[in-house]
Amino acid sequence: MSGPSDDRAAELRQLFFESAQELLQALNADALHLEQNPSDREIVRSIRRTVHTLKGDSAACGYRELSELAHEFEDVLALEVGPGSPTELAEVALAAADVFEAMLASYREGTSVKPADGLRERIQKLAQQPEATKSRGRKKRVARSLHFAWSEYEQLAIRNALQQGRTIYQVSVLIDPHCAMPVAGRQLVHNALAAAGEIFAIRPEPGASHNSSRTIEAALASELSVQQLQGKCHIPSIVAKVTVEALQPARSRGAKVAAAPSPAPPPELAMPAAACANEAPESGTTSESPPPAPTAGIPSMENILRVDAERIDNVLNLVGELIIGKSMLHQTVAEFSRRYPKEALRNRFSDAMAFQSRVLNDLQRAVMKIRMVPVEQLFRRFPRIVRDVARQCGKDVELVLSGQDTDLDKSILDCLAEPLTHVVRNAIGHGIESAEERVKAGKEPRGTITLDAYHQGNQVMVEVSDDGRGIDVEKVRAKAIASGLLTSAQCAELSETEILEFIFRPGFSTAEQVTEISGRGVGMDVVQSVLHRLKGSVTVESRSGQGTRFRLKLPLTLAIIKALMFTIENRLYAIPLNAVAEIARATEADVHQVDNHEVLQLRNQILPLVRLGHAPSGPDSLHRKFFLLVTTAGDKKLGLIVDGLAGEEELVIKALDDQVVATELVSGASILGDGRVVLILNLAAIVERVSRMRPQDAGAVVSGLLFSHSEYQARRSTPPGSTVVEP
Amino acid sequence: MEQFAPVKKKDGQPVRYLVVDDSVFARKNLARMIESFGGQLAGEAGDGCTAITEYDRTTPDIVLMDITMPQMEGIEAAERIVRTHPNARIVMVSSVGYQDNIVAALQRGARHFVQKPVKPEVLYEVIKYVMGEDAAVTTAAGAGS
Repeated sequence: MSGPSDDRAAELRQLFFESAQELLQALNADALHLEQNPSDREIVRSIRRTVHTLKGDSAACGYRELSELAHEFEDVLALEVGPGSPTELAEVALAAADVFEAMLASYREGTSVKPADGLRERIQKLAQQPEATKSRGRKKRVARSLHFAWSEYEQLAIRNALQQGRTIYQVSVLIDPHCAMPVAGRQLVHNALAAAGEIFAIRPEPGASHNSSRTIEAALASELSVQQLQGKCHIPSIVAKVTVEALQPARSRGAKVAAAPSPAPPPELAMPAAACANEAPESGTTSESPPPAPTAGIPSMENILRVDAERIDNVLNLVGELIIGKSMLHQTVAEFSRRYPKEALRNRFSDAMAFQSRVLNDLQRAVMKIRMVPVEQLFRRFPRIVRDVARQCGKDVELVLSGQDTDLDKSILDCLAEPLTHVVRNAIGHGIESAEERVKAGKEPRGTITLDAYHQGNQVMVEVSDDGRGIDVEKVRAKAIASGLLTSAQCAELSETEILEFIFRPGFSTAEQVTEISGRGVGMDVVQSVLHRLKGSVTVESRSGQGTRFRLKLPLTLAIIKALMFTIENRLYAIPLNAVAEIARATEADVHQVDNHEVLQLRNQILPLVRLGHAPSGPDSLHRKFFLLVTTAGDKKLGLIVDGLAGEEELVIKALDDQVVATELVSGASILGDGRVVLILNLAAIVERVSRMRPQDAGAVVSGLLFSHSEYQARRSTPPGSTVVEP
Repeated sequence: MEQFAPVKKKDGQPVRYLVVDDSVFARKNLARMIESFGGQLAGEAGDGCTAITEYDRTTPDIVLMDITMPQMEGIEAAERIVRTHPNARIVMVSSVGYQDNIVAALQRGARHFVQKPVKPEVLYEVIKYVMGEDAAVTTAAGAGS
């Protein structure tokens, strides 16, 4: 039984960090829950279970400080009288969650752990409170509650066995202090107990070789008498002392105990009294229904496999290659059919192709599904954030979550945490008014923040709405003018929605004072840039006095898209097909200029245009025909002027590193079946860029977005070759 | 050497031992103790492989098994013996440093362990415990009958 190798230890630690994160989430959630329902003892038990698991796991990884702290906290939680007031307990639990998290971070980074004396003190205080109120020896109670502190599952098993009429013994064995091999001794005791009956619970667990505890506590069902059991456990030269107690079936003692601690708890009391109280019905018989399973709310872990996300990405990548292979085959078969139109083999080829592409589609969908995780994973951190921020601002805020089961790609979800937090903080800091202000405005004193997620077509929407004062459009307008982003003349032409969008500009904040909560220099522009990176968009809607809604629109996945390909100045580009609303043809003569923007009248609508290439020049340029891609980005309709269409295709997006393409306008690239490279444009970023560009020269229009001017000059003399883009 | 009240099986026969150790000295030492308990040396082995064949041949009541031995270690030998003879009573004999090995052996079916250097009074108690109800201490007078 040598120690685990370094590799395994590292893997174990990784697993620990992941599960610890979940435990902390649970701890946070429970603490908040307890704050709302201070009388619910079940929550306290749930907290204790969580802390207990954390203690055990961290000890197994050798994180002593964390496990010791958790142990102290668990001790206090084990006090069945209820340590301190529940609200104080909730406070301490939240503080503990923070300290644990900080410790985890230090462990992960390998830095030294800061002492948590503040928390320790609070924990101790918590433990002393009942002593002060009920002048009873605290030490004794702690000792007793630690004695035979079985997990709820074990308690349930014991109760069930008792109900079946089996004899259950509580055995406590003290290993001889002179025994040089206590672990081996414990194993021996374990063997002896196992031979004597069925072990329901044992502490320390066998195999816990790092644990040097010299006492073993166990609950076992056995046919032997107390004396026989004593004899079995009294192992020469190993065991110093054995106590065996037969356990009586639990009666409805609980209610009494819970109401007031019984002066001398009977020794056979197996479970913390409150646990009995929970299930003992008034009739006085033991309850038939088991107490709520401790795992309620946590999905069953039996069939869940933890896999490194990288491995899934690998599979997805291979699927991507397969799709490229598929399109290669398609082209070859098409070529073959053209060359040999009478060849009978053609049909068999196309049958096989159809079959293969169907399976490939299923495979792709299945792999994508692996990466999907419910938004719940992201949302569940918000109750805590909202509580803390609301408290810091002195506001009363309620958080409403919905659509938690909406699935989203894991990598997108991970990137979303930061911007979403920012939006929520802002909503509380700036959006929600103080209680007095709200009452004055005729609203409920308590503000509401709603987080919602839902599917919309091939996209996922995440909405953050508040019922606060809304964004003051005039303030934004004034600020925009003051910062030189706009002239007052331009301002007058912009709609409210357009003005609101200024809040996404870098360094733009209307907050009068910078607080810790929001307005720390990073603003909504960070939110927007993250969303653009994710090929999503963010829009804002606000009604004065009624609230604000931020709408984050995200693609379901980042890996494979259906795209429309087109050419601009002989280069191949693509945009996601679901962004294309319509394709039309037009000539240059149809294009009009309004305020340095090119527009075109499409049926009854005026459509702003984006010219990605350069405007044609020359005598017959007005007759030149082009294709118009009517796209929707955010809620805006926009016409992209392109030279030619190249069909639609499923593209596997390959990320490009910054050295290859230094622009946010391109979100990735893909390889076609024939080996050509196609750049995938980031529509949201393009729209953003265009709306920001305001040519100073009268008559100039935004154009040539994808090409630098110098390159444009060069391109006139040399044929196109490279695919590098320099905006 | 100190004399102990003999431990005999229920049918009055002496308890039969198999002593496994690669050190001849250790084997002799244990054999003397066994004698002082009123037991009988059924066989000896210097390595794990021999221990298994000797067990099959002699079917002893108790095996005293060293942990570290050439060819086959005590743990493996113990495990193999217990697999074919679930009722085999194997007592591991080892130095303090091998706690993990002892735990492993106990998990694989060894009944008990004693520490080296073996103290006769400890081994005596262990033997009594391991034999349990299958053996009893006979008084000096009873031994003669």
